[in-house]
Amino acid sequence: MAHREIFWNISHEYIMYVLSFIAVVFVAYAIYRHYKMWRMGKGDERSKNMGSRVWAFVKTGFADGLGHRRFLREPYPGIMHLLIFWGCVILLLAAAVDAITHYLVIPLEGSTYLWFSLVVDIAGILVLIGVILAITRRYIQKPERLNTFLDDGVILSLIAIVIITGYMIEGLRLAATEVNTNPDWALWSPVGLVFTKKTLFGGLSHDTILTLHSVLWWFHAVLVNGTIIYVALSYSKLQHIVISPLNAFFRNLGPVGAPAPIDMETAEVLGVGEIKDFTWKQLLDGDACTNCGRCQDVCPAWASGKPLSPRKLTQDIKTQWQKVANPKSNPPESLPPLIGGAIAEDEIWACTTCAACQQACPVFIEHIVKIIDMRRNLTMMQSKMPENIQLMLRNMQTRGHPWVGAQTLRLRGDWTSGLGLNTLAEDSNVDMLLWVGCTAALSDRNVEVTLALVRVLKAAGVSFGILGEDEPCCGDPARRAGYEIQFQTSVEQNIALLQGYNVKNIVATCPHCYNTFKNEYPKFGGSFNVVHHTQLIADLLKQDKIKLTCDLRSLATYHDPCYLGRYNSIYSEPRNILHAIPQLKLKEMERSHSKSFCCGGGGTHMWFEQQIGTKVNDIRTDEALKTNAEIVATACPYCLLMLEEAIQGKDLQQPLKAKDIAELVDQAMEKSA
Amino acid sequence: MSNQGILVCGEIAEGKLAPITLELLGIGRKLANDLGQELNILLMGSGIGNLAQEAIAFGADKVHVADNALLQEYNSDAYTAVAAKLCQKISPDIVLLGQTDGGRDLAPRLAGRLGGGLAMDCLELSIDPSTKLLVQTRPVFGGNANARIVSKAARPQMATIRSKTMAPAVRDDSRKGQVIPVEDIDASTVKVKVLERVKEKTEGVKLEDAEVVVSGGRGIGNAQNFQVLRDLANLLNGAVGATRAACEEGWIPMTHQVGQTGKIVSPKLYIAVALSGAMQHIAGCSGSKCVIAVNKDGGANIFKIATYGIVGDYKEVIPALSQKLKELLGK
Amino acid sequence: MHIIVCVKQIPDPEVPPAKFKIDPDTKKVMPPPGLPPVISVFDERAVELACRIKEKNPGTKITAITMGPGKVSDVVKHALAMGADEGIVLQDKAFEDSDSFGNAHILAKAIQKIGSYDLILCGRQAADWDIGQTGSILAETLGIPVVTVAKDIEVAGDKIKVSRVMEDGYEVVEAPLPCVVTVSNEVGLPRLPSGMGIIQAARKQVPAWTAADIGADPAKIGPAAAHSEITSLFIPTRDTTCEVITADTLAEAAVKLALKLRETKVV
Repeated sequence: MAHREIFWNISHEYIMYVLSFIAVVFVAYAIYRHYKMWRMGKGDERSKNMGSRVWAFVKTGFADGLGHRRFLREPYPGIMHLLIFWGCVILLLAAAVDAITHYLVIPLEGSTYLWFSLVVDIAGILVLIGVILAITRRYIQKPERLNTFLDDGVILSLIAIVIITGYMIEGLRLAATEVNTNPDWALWSPVGLVFTKKTLFGGLSHDTILTLHSVLWWFHAVLVNGTIIYVALSYSKLQHIVISPLNAFFRNLGPVGAPAPIDMETAEVLGVGEIKDFTWKQLLDGDACTNCGRCQDVCPAWASGKPLSPRKLTQDIKTQWQKVANPKSNPPESLPPLIGGAIAEDEIWACTTCAACQQACPVFIEHIVKIIDMRRNLTMMQSKMPENIQLMLRNMQTRGHPWVGAQTLRLRGDWTSGLGLNTLAEDSNVDMLLWVGCTAALSDRNVEVTLALVRVLKAAGVSFGILGEDEPCCGDPARRAGYEIQFQTSVEQNIALLQGYNVKNIVATCPHCYNTFKNEYPKFGGSFNVVHHTQLIADLLKQDKIKLTCDLRSLATYHDPCYLGRYNSIYSEPRNILHAIPQLKLKEMERSHSKSFCCGGGGTHMWFEQQIGTKVNDIRTDEALKTNAEIVATACPYCLLMLEEAIQGKDLQQPLKAKDIAELVDQAMEKSA
Repeated sequence: MSNQGILVCGEIAEGKLAPITLELLGIGRKLANDLGQELNILLMGSGIGNLAQEAIAFGADKVHVADNALLQEYNSDAYTAVAAKLCQKISPDIVLLGQTDGGRDLAPRLAGRLGGGLAMDCLELSIDPSTKLLVQTRPVFGGNANARIVSKAARPQMATIRSKTMAPAVRDDSRKGQVIPVEDIDASTVKVKVLERVKEKTEGVKLEDAEVVVSGGRGIGNAQNFQVLRDLANLLNGAVGATRAACEEGWIPMTHQVGQTGKIVSPKLYIAVALSGAMQHIAGCSGSKCVIAVNKDGGANIFKIATYGIVGDYKEVIPALSQKLKELLGK
Repeated sequence: MHIIVCVKQIPDPEVPPAKFKIDPDTKKVMPPPGLPPVISVFDERAVELACRIKEKNPGTKITAITMGPGKVSDVVKHALAMGADEGIVLQDKAFEDSDSFGNAHILAKAIQKIGSYDLILCGRQAADWDIGQTGSILAETLGIPVVTVAKDIEVAGDKIKVSRVMEDGYEVVEAPLPCVVTVSNEVGLPRLPSGMGIIQAARKQVPAWTAADIGADPAKIGPAAAHSEITSLFIPTRDTTCEVITADTLAEAAVKLALKLRETKVV
């Protein structure tokens, strides 16, 4: 029966156990050290709800782990990693099978053994192909996002050498045994067989083969254990084998980009000013980062020449963390500060909180909340922020909305004039509250959208009320700016206001208000049924309450607002509405849905412009222009303003108009008079 | 004690009676005539004896000259001491000052010391025919409203007048008047000392004197963009102004600020670019003969005071306007 | 060093002019509903300047005082959040409708009750009635020097160097302490209250003092004691109507405007 002897030609095999034991000790030490380093951070509620975590991990483990769903969004690096991953998994399983059969004296023989040999041989090839792809990419293609360190070369070489020496050992064993005794068994180890050929080891004497085999076997054994020790002791990125799944296990299961509330009564430090202010999960994030650069590729700040790269930010936090953790070699006084040193303030302010980075990250790193945490420190502890952010926040504080100067033109309730709408104060017996939001109430262009939406709701016979001049700001701009104190004050007042009118259902025109109400208010005790106006309109269309009869005869493209799409997975409703409009063709931009590119207005950028690089809204408008569409539809007041500004700034040959979906619906509605 | 007469606190600039002094004498003369009282003027400075006759020619009946080295430049303590002492001596019914660097500082101190009734930054002064009280009209709430103010009992009735709001006095060299020297002042009253005066450079024409002013607001966007306004101003031999917001952004020095707390200008042509027209800004330019408003927002307040307006992005309008004007002016 | 900053709560001056309403009978301004009052812009800059002095001169204490009816403690809380150490509210029916002399008397009495002080900061004027007298009259009442329209203050021992705003630049004056300084908007943008500042301010008690507490002279306060009175309040009318120039493009509109200016000999 076909089989092979474990420890064939090897004496003093206990030495291997000693070696392995040493490696295990180092691994245990490394785990302990990492654990200690993560615990430098503050507590995090991620240690709770372990049951649902395990379930989520198992559930998505197949798709995201074994299936590489997130990796394969980019074919080349996805396949590369998939080959190495699956090759290594098979090889590890094979080693386990070897150990089990050896110690339990369950013979691995016959055709099972032969198939086993073949699979293991193929697995090695998979790894080698993956390594070759990796080397080609990193050292020949050199994409911009990859930052190469010595470790990258070292680990790729180590993997390659381990695999190749493995094949050589196999070849030598075959040359001494199966090739002579059972040549048809040897065919099941095709790669090993290569090394029995005359040109390689074939011409050697039997004794030489035995000696060479034993030397190589020990070399292989030492190399494998040495690699483990190297990875355990250095900060090699191969550690991600353990840390990345761990990070995926502790990943955010709640809403996207929602920072933790601060208990203002007890907090001693507001936000993150140094490494120890991060939570342990945020530190684990850095540890899990493999520097792959997917986040950087999709980042609007990076694409427009701003100093922020989410990859670099994560790596810089990681480096700072490692330095702080080793005060002996990095005396604290020699360390740069975290903010303004390791991370520049301009980087922190460049983020539009679009969440593209988090969507792209294969290991579930969360960049946004870290950035907001650092902004919190800047605004609330250090009072340092761009001047226009300060103006915006002051305006929120004194006037209850972020639009500095808008007030000299119109007041909050002005848009309601002549509409005959009831405020909740006048009549609170309505099905839902139309929450207009600051921008849609104060900015002229956005007021047009608000009026269109009101016409649509009236036509559909929706029973709704408004707050009119009493409508405050939802607090979102303050929260994204890190000025949590203002946010929490707003939240407290708003919840009291809404509960006072017994509001249950809210329709919001602004995805930022929508997201804040839906995902962030519940933490403060305010739970409302919130829908975005696109959801409501899509629903009204489905129920046939609105009839769209007027031809628009136009080609449109749809820009996904980040806070609708990536934050709340609302992709189909806006498109359904557009499809329902007669003679309106929809053509998607190259980047759409979850891969949509930011308009540039999120994360407080609506109120200040970093005078560095180019403009995000210009880039996005160019993408819209490529579709040859005449209308770029969107569903967010910020997106509308940003796109419109970019369109006006271009000398366009083709007509392109930015429109809110509510306006298009209003236009397409049957007009009674 | 009944107060009598009108006292004007004159100002001297570059060895001559300052333009505001002529305005003060103009309105002072008118009020004096209405009340049938004397017009006094106090001139403070050093080596200014020759200006007394000038003041008489411009309408003063009595000129009180405080000629002292300590008074060379405006000094709050010294000027207050001199003016207060004179007021205590002659007990005027009305004291008029200019709403200038000096007058703005001196008037409330003097009022505090004398206990009079003061209205600052007046646009109009008149005598109520029945009560013979001084009626003072001044802007309040950033110019959103005007208030008429009278002091029934407190004396003297005091006012500072905004520059360029009153008709300047007309020179008549045949006029006669009396020159009275003011006694020496007590140097120990000077507690606050002026260490240095720094003039901030302004390119080209002075904002207050310019016949054309091109002003920008927050809508200009950044410091570099002010260049298009400078180009237009240079073409028209004008000066560049700005709103408080634009100055606070640091886009242009504070000395360019037009408005209630900045400069008051009244050029022939005021071009308001990308500014919404907050009342406190309009307060500084509402005396302009012709106002042009360029703003993206057709609802902006500035259009309410403008003669001509263009609704649109200034980045497109102003260069085209400059180009055409250049052509028309043959430059 | 002890700095006292006088702050005032005013109706929001950034009201759209079309929304600005007055009651000619009572001669009062009626702020549009839903527009909360704010700290007077110049007073806020006075607090800012005080905070800057405190940063450069450790050990400096800042006391913010305000006077007015209603929830004026908000502006003191704002000053506390910005960096003031203590706050006092002066509130009494008898204080209402005082003029600058009355206000100066009340402030002087309160300041005398506080006791020791080195520097008193006020806004150059309150951004509502724009009267611009209280600081100077307060100095005269207390018998100490005053420096007006300051944009910067540097402390040098028992003296201060103050940069005063002038029409064509600025002057630097040296004043002995104690003295009053009125502050102009050239100070620059006031700081945003830090989160810690807001939290600490919320915890601080702000005492309210009445006329009796400070020993104000009833004959010197209230409308009866006012040196001057408002006989009418009105919104000035403007008779200009704007001719909006339109054309196919903005550039053409600009050309039309240029021609018009030339025609009418404006240029």
